[in-house]
Amino acid sequence: MTTTPSTPISAGPEDPSSGESGSDAAAIAEASRSAAVADDVAYLDQVMVEIDAEVRRRRASGDLPASLERELDELFLEFSPVGLQGKAKMRETLALIDSSAYVDIAVPTASNKAIGVYIKKTIRKMIGWYMRFIADQIIKMFWATSRMSHVLVEHVEDLEADVEAHRTPDLPVDVVVPADLAAAWWAPKAASALSAVGGRVAVGECGTGSLVEALVASGVDAYGLDPSDLALEDAIDRGADLRAESVLDHLGVVADEALAGVVLTGAVERLRPNERGQLMELVATKVAVGGTVVLHSTTPEAWARSAPPLVRDLAPGRPLHAATWAHLLGGRGFAVTETTTGGAGGALAYVATSSPDAGAVNAAIDAVNELLGGPAEYVLVAVRER
Amino acid sequence: MTAVHQFVPALLPRDATGDHTRALRDALRAAGFNSDIFVEAAHDELQAEATYFEEYPSRAQPGDILLYQLGTSSPVAEFLLGRPEPLVLDYHNVTPEEFYAGWEEHTREKVALARAQVAELAPAAVLGIADSEFNASELATLGCPATEVVPILVDLAAITADAAEADRLAKDHGRGTVWLFVGRISPNKVQHRLVAAFWLYRQMYDADARLHLVGPAVTPDYVDALDAYVAELGLTDAVRRVEGLSAGQLAAWYEDADVFVCLSEHEGFCIPLLEAMAAGTPVVALDAGAVGETLGRAGLLLDSSRPSVVAAAVDRVRCDHDLVEHLVAAGRRRLADFAAPVTAARFVDVLRRLDTERSQVA
Repeated sequence: MTTTPSTPISAGPEDPSSGESGSDAAAIAEASRSAAVADDVAYLDQVMVEIDAEVRRRRASGDLPASLERELDELFLEFSPVGLQGKAKMRETLALIDSSAYVDIAVPTASNKAIGVYIKKTIRKMIGWYMRFIADQIIKMFWATSRMSHVLVEHVEDLEADVEAHRTPDLPVDVVVPADLAAAWWAPKAASALSAVGGRVAVGECGTGSLVEALVASGVDAYGLDPSDLALEDAIDRGADLRAESVLDHLGVVADEALAGVVLTGAVERLRPNERGQLMELVATKVAVGGTVVLHSTTPEAWARSAPPLVRDLAPGRPLHAATWAHLLGGRGFAVTETTTGGAGGALAYVATSSPDAGAVNAAIDAVNELLGGPAEYVLVAVRER
Repeated sequence: MTAVHQFVPALLPRDATGDHTRALRDALRAAGFNSDIFVEAAHDELQAEATYFEEYPSRAQPGDILLYQLGTSSPVAEFLLGRPEPLVLDYHNVTPEEFYAGWEEHTREKVALARAQVAELAPAAVLGIADSEFNASELATLGCPATEVVPILVDLAAITADAAEADRLAKDHGRGTVWLFVGRISPNKVQHRLVAAFWLYRQMYDADARLHLVGPAVTPDYVDALDAYVAELGLTDAVRRVEGLSAGQLAAWYEDADVFVCLSEHEGFCIPLLEAMAAGTPVVALDAGAVGETLGRAGLLLDSSRPSVVAAAVDRVRCDHDLVEHLVAAGRRRLADFAAPVTAARFVDVLRRLDTERSQVA
């Protein structure tokens, strides 16, 4: 007896003078309502696009520093017990535990009536031995807990010092050059894999937005994400649905199973291990059963050879092998249907396509590069089975 | 005559579940069913309408159907699991425990118990009625054999704004934009994100704006953190917390607001969205839980609660009168889908069909 929620729209009264049959009139009314609903959706979608544009404009103008929203979140954490951070807060809490770790068995005996004081004192004296026995055990438990807390805090402080010693500066967003993904060798593979998914597709780190535009042109309901506002400006002006957000931030607020596909590129090469795990969990939650993941990455070997020095030194993580991504996705209900290697990241650069025999020469360069350093990139297609 | 008796942990006046339970009893009686309300506890005002749940066995009749209003943990759940009568759940959702982790241990334990009870009850029920598809999918995932979506019964047409309160608020309104959110001050309602967005809004768009948070302060640590956050951001004079309003007073607060902003991260239905629509107050809301489903296209539905996005959306509402007219009109149309007589008829229809099916099987 499972049904969908009904939001009944009552059929309008039929007009007997119209000369149309009742069913025709109802069909016309239904078509009119459908058109009105479609207009409604388009209008609100346009408003949301304009709101996104307003946020981007504020960011670009400097009114809205990128760190401001994070600082607002961190400020709230300072007041929350879940966010107790820093030695001062931990030490304050320890002091609170220490000062509370005592049970006073001298129960107050004050009373409005003189007889009340006498009765209370008598009761206190009579059960004093009993209360003392219980209180001694509770106090011992408190002190054991307090000692354990001290040990834990010292461990945490040691760990914090250790982590701080290994901290590297954040990788500046602007050292990552926005990619023109539509021109990438793997773009046709992505378009082919997503051609029949039948739902929304998010393209992570979409660079200039060209791949999103190409996917939309081929009939895929795609939108793009990139942490760099500036990279997106031109494509947004052309009407593309692009948002200035990281993949992790965006997937975190998407409804479960709302996506039919995700394209992952760029950031997947630089994620910290914990962020990588978070990404996999989000992909497994947000992509519907039957949905497709297209994951593109540089090979670890090519990355070590060709990534800019700043990226190699400051990137929090490193690229993985295709087999490792396949393993991670496989553990979350995805089956890898295709893995293709390609790209020109080897020792020799291509000749210009305008050169005579460029096709043959570049094919030879591919062969030489592969012999010298192996394939530079790979693209992996996986489908969620469960 | 078949009886559909309702069980509810607490029957309270001026409470969404309490009002729903009583309205449903009236609708069932009007449709020819016998229907009484059995409770673990009832408010003094409603003692005459309620019977202690452990008295039910002495009144049980063959053919009875038991309908449990499920939204919190209660010994009533254990009692119903032991009964032979067919059990129907009316599921209003339970906040997941992780929202309370670190904030309030006893509430976390209480909601964890409630969700464990939902997991036990779902496969034991013959039918799960849910306020929303969001709630229905939870029941189905937990093994409920059949589900129906019927919204909670709420009669907003019967509520009019308290004139004295409306006058007082109008005098205080000033020229700044008034934001409103109505709901418990609780971690799953994330009022702190609302405060962050509001602070940014004042910085960027309207320095005179004010934020009204209406709802009981049920999680003391979260309330303390929220108050400290408000003070740290210099918003003490701009943010007002209020609770204990009558229905008429609350309607006046809705009407006074320029925009209703909801960034709640977990809602099984969200009645305040309907209340805002009824008051003609435009809605800006985060698309989380059942919010999008309840709101339909009658508000600006955000896919992010980032302060910059929320502030820009509210500013759009402030500056775009055509948009406000559009949202208010869409809200009134949407509200018709939840009209009390329509919903009551759907409840009766669902329960009548169940009764008929069971009679045929018997």
